[in-house]
Amino acid sequence: MQLDIRELNYVYPGSVRNVFRQLSCQVTDPGFHALFGPSGVGKTTLAKMIAGAIKEFSGDIRLHQINQVLYTYNLERLPGWSSVQEHLTQITPTPNRQRMEELVDSFGLETSLNSRFAQLSLGQQNRTNLTRYLLQDFDLLIMDESLANVDEITKEKIILKIKDLYPERCFLYISHNVVEVSKFCKQILVLRSHHKDPQAVLLQGQDFNGRQPLAERDLEQSMLEIVNAT
Amino acid sequence: MLHRRIYQFLIIYFIGFGGLMLVKYSLNLSDYVIPGFSDIGIACRRYFGLYLLAVLNTLSVAILGHLLSICMATMVGIIGRLTDWIGSFIRVAAYNIQAYPIVAVAPIIFILLGDGLSSRLLIAAMICYFPLLLSIIGIFSEPVVEIEHFFESTRRMNWQLQVKIRAFENIHKLMTVIVGSATLAMVGTIVAEFIAANAGIGYSIRIALYQSDLAKILVALFLIGICTSIYLVFLEWLGMIIKRRIGGI
Repeated sequence: MQLDIRELNYVYPGSVRNVFRQLSCQVTDPGFHALFGPSGVGKTTLAKMIAGAIKEFSGDIRLHQINQVLYTYNLERLPGWSSVQEHLTQITPTPNRQRMEELVDSFGLETSLNSRFAQLSLGQQNRTNLTRYLLQDFDLLIMDESLANVDEITKEKIILKIKDLYPERCFLYISHNVVEVSKFCKQILVLRSHHKDPQAVLLQGQDFNGRQPLAERDLEQSMLEIVNAT
Repeated sequence: MLHRRIYQFLIIYFIGFGGLMLVKYSLNLSDYVIPGFSDIGIACRRYFGLYLLAVLNTLSVAILGHLLSICMATMVGIIGRLTDWIGSFIRVAAYNIQAYPIVAVAPIIFILLGDGLSSRLLIAAMICYFPLLLSIIGIFSEPVVEIEHFFESTRRMNWQLQVKIRAFENIHKLMTVIVGSATLAMVGTIVAEFIAANAGIGYSIRIALYQSDLAKILVALFLIGICTSIYLVFLEWLGMIIKRRIGGI
C-alpha cells in the first residue's frame, strides 16, 4: 500500500497564490498515519486531491494497492429524517453489519442510536459520522479533524480501536494536535508553507497501540521533530 | 380559539370597514356611494349563503390550480436542478418568463378555452406557478454538501435521494413558498373570474360592480378573506404535521 505524490502544483481558482509548488511526498504501508501542518497550508486541499474531489492540478498522485479512498470531515451531517440507528443500518453493507455493534459500543454511541443527528452533541455527531465511514469498504480513509469536540479519553479509545480493527487499512488523520499525532500515528506527513523547501516532510510517530508502554522521551522527541519541521 | 391568520384578517377587514364608514360620515356621502350599516346588513342576510357558495367554488378552483402548479413546479424544478444544458435552459427560461405579467395572457386563454372551469384553473395555476417554480429550482439546485458528501463518495447518490435531501433541508422554505403561493392561486382565480368566467366570487363581484353595489362587494370581500385564511391555516397545519413526521420533532 502506497500513496505517492509527485511534483504537485496547485493554485486555488481565482487566486494567484500557489498552495503547492512541486510538492512531492510518500506514505507507505497500511496504518494510522497523519497529515499535519498549520492552518491554511493546504491539508484539506491535499486530502480532497487524494480523494479525487479536486482534479484540476498538475503533478501526479499515485495510489498503489489503494482502490477505494474515502474522505470524511467534521462538519458532515446525517440526514435528519431517520434516527442514527436507522441510518447506520441502511448504509452499512451486509458483510460489515457485525462490526456496527462493536463500533457503536467502542465509540460510546449506544445512547445516541435512537436520536436524530441534530439532537446529538458535537462530539457525538463526529463519532457517529466517523462510525458510518468505518462501516464502508475502503482502503484509505482520510479523517479531516473527524474527532474534533471529542474528549481525550474517548478519542484515545477510538483511535486504538480503529488501529486494532483495521490493521490492514490505511488512514490519514488530519489534526492540529501535536501530542495525539506524535503518539498514535505511524508516519506523519508535515505540510509546510509553499515557500519552504521541501514543502512536505515525512516523520515517524510513536504508533502507540495500547499494548506496549509508551516511552515519554520518544514521544517528546517526536513532538519536537514535528514542531521543528512545521 | 381563532387562529392568528383569521383574527389578523378580521382586524384588517374591520379597520378598512371602519375607514370606509369614517369617509362616508365625515364627507356625508350618500348610501349609493358607500352603503350604510342597514344596507350592508340587508346584503349580508340576502347574499351571504349565495356568496359563500361562490367563494367555495372559487376556492376549490384555486386549490386545484395550486396543486397543479405545485406538481408542475416540482417536476420542472427537479429537471432544473441539473447542472447540464437542460437544467440551465430551464432555469433561464423560468427567470425570463416570470418577468412577464402572466395575467396579461388571460384574455388569450379565455378566447381559446372559453369561460368555463378550464380557463379559471389554468390562469390560477399560471399565476402561482412561476413564483413557486423559481423557489423550487433555487432550493433543488443548491447542494447540501455536508449531507450529500457521504452519499457521493460512497456512490449511493441518485436523483431521488438528492431531491429528498434538498427538500428535507429546506422544508421550512418550501412550506413558506407553498403557503405564499396559495394566496396567489386565489388571486389568479378571482382575476380570471373578473375577466370572463361564468361562476365564482370574482364573477359575482363583477356583477355587483356593474350594479355599483358596494354592500355586496363588502360581503364578498369578507367571505374571500375568511375562506382564504382558513385555507392558509390548513396549509400551515399540514406543513407542521409534515415537518413533525419527517423531522421526528
